[in-house]
Amino acid sequence: MNATIVKKKKKKWWLTYTFWFILPSFLLYTIFVIWPTLSSINLSFTSWDGINPEVRYIGFENFKEIWESTRVHNALKNTIILAVALVILENIVALGLAILVDKVRWCRNLFRSIFYFPVLMSGIIMGFIWMIILNYNFGVFNQLLEKIGLGSWKLDWLGDPDFALWAIILSTVWKAAGYYMIIYLAGLQGIPQELLEAASIDGAGRWKQFIHITFPLLAGATTVCVMLSMIGSLKLFDQIAVMTNGGPGFSTETLTYIIYRVAFGEGRQGFGTALSLVLFAIILIVSLIQIKLLRKREVQM
Amino acid sequence: MKKRKKIKVSDIVLFLVTLIIAVIFAFPIFFNLMSAFKTNGEILRDAIAFPAAVYLDSFKYLLTETDYPKAIFNSAVLTVVSIALMVFIIPMAAYGIERTANKWTNGVYVYFLFGMMIPFQVYMIPLFRQMKAMGLFGTLAGPIMIYIAGSVGFGVLLYTSFLKGVPREIEESAEIDGCSRIGIFWKIVFPLLGPVTASMVVLQGLGIWNDFLLPMLVLPSGEPKTMIVELFYYVGEFSSRWDMIFAGTTMSLIPVLIAFLTLQKYFVKGVSSGAIKG
Repeated sequence: MNATIVKKKKKKWWLTYTFWFILPSFLLYTIFVIWPTLSSINLSFTSWDGINPEVRYIGFENFKEIWESTRVHNALKNTIILAVALVILENIVALGLAILVDKVRWCRNLFRSIFYFPVLMSGIIMGFIWMIILNYNFGVFNQLLEKIGLGSWKLDWLGDPDFALWAIILSTVWKAAGYYMIIYLAGLQGIPQELLEAASIDGAGRWKQFIHITFPLLAGATTVCVMLSMIGSLKLFDQIAVMTNGGPGFSTETLTYIIYRVAFGEGRQGFGTALSLVLFAIILIVSLIQIKLLRKREVQM
Repeated sequence: MKKRKKIKVSDIVLFLVTLIIAVIFAFPIFFNLMSAFKTNGEILRDAIAFPAAVYLDSFKYLLTETDYPKAIFNSAVLTVVSIALMVFIIPMAAYGIERTANKWTNGVYVYFLFGMMIPFQVYMIPLFRQMKAMGLFGTLAGPIMIYIAGSVGFGVLLYTSFLKGVPREIEESAEIDGCSRIGIFWKIVFPLLGPVTASMVVLQGLGIWNDFLLPMLVLPSGEPKTMIVELFYYVGEFSSRWDMIFAGTTMSLIPVLIAFLTLQKYFVKGVSSGAIKG
């Protein structure tokens, strides 16, 4: 629409090509991303079930229900646990792996590939593999516990509400850490060696070098990784679908998962849409806060 | 400078630590590949043991007795067609935006980037409704268009930032020679965008190949959808036939593994270029 105005205003030929070059992307993006996003605002005020051609408006009822529902509160709690745990663990593991790959003397590329490969797997496949590994009767994990004499620790890891969420968290760390490792690795390789040498001449040990030089200089990489891992954890879906399906009960439901379950499993698409707007608001707020906070501590080189 | 350093004890310790962690990281994948060639009994008896003999029946069963071949076909069509159209449409838009800098194109640019902030889950329910209204529900064309639309923001960002570093002189001289814009773009500019195109193909292709939610929602129920969706259903239906599911996951992983081994450089580059957006 912007582009059509341009076309009328000025008649230079190169503007016409600009218009035609942008048009296909503009149309697809508007029809399949922006339009449904906007119509979700409309749909969130209805009690639509997904099938009935008649759509009934119920005002703010959906949002009121979100505010009061204990199931939504539980999903929100899980989402927060998941986000905090994943951001912390993924970044620590990723930074650790990056340092190892950066410092190790042999087979550097092989190690990097091994740590990175889980990133390429679908969440469904990865969730299935971990589900089998954690299976109560035949899983590798319990077999291993038995072999080292800790048979009494055996548990149905995914069937126990206390452990199911942590099983999802740890397997996701395994899957995602390699991605952030690549970003940290690029950061590490950008640190000038002279700085570290100068510090070691001044008598700074390895740990002090890391705390005072390496880590502050990695701030740019950290900003990116924390943001990406936070948004990734808010969108986590596939693993939950295959490993627990939100269960046992509702105990591992997150906001993204509850949207799907409510809308397509329970036929409450109006309510699901209202929830999805809440999720969108949370993602927007979180990203804005993070950009503000983390930009402050970046070191200017 | 290039004097070979002596091997220190700390080097060996560091190597061993890395090796142990690498074994833990590689184990689930190794476990998957190994289990695909075992009988179900073998997997249940001792999950860690090597297969007694290479057992291929689960592959045969999947390919002849189930709908899996149709799902493989769907996955391949969705991935290949979406990617081909993506690298056809998106670089043109990026070129139009970058080479005509004014407030309108800048507005379009910001409008496109905004899409990167919107997660799929936010618009999936209205989209589902829209697909039905437009008659695209149940067709492969539906998800293809959604994939392209969803990658416009990221793609335009990647291509425009790369185009900034491509000098305009060649284009200008071609223009004087009377070459059309379309010709200039496809004959001169597009070949120079190779590295970005490679990153796009690799990253978006992987995302589509592995996608679960979209094909599950918009492809017709009762017919085979994509590999990943079928695998998800098998986990429920054939919950006691692990050997078969492992054979299925292996078939889905093999193309990814081959792509990774041959195009490794672009996977890594794609990650770092994707990270710039922060």
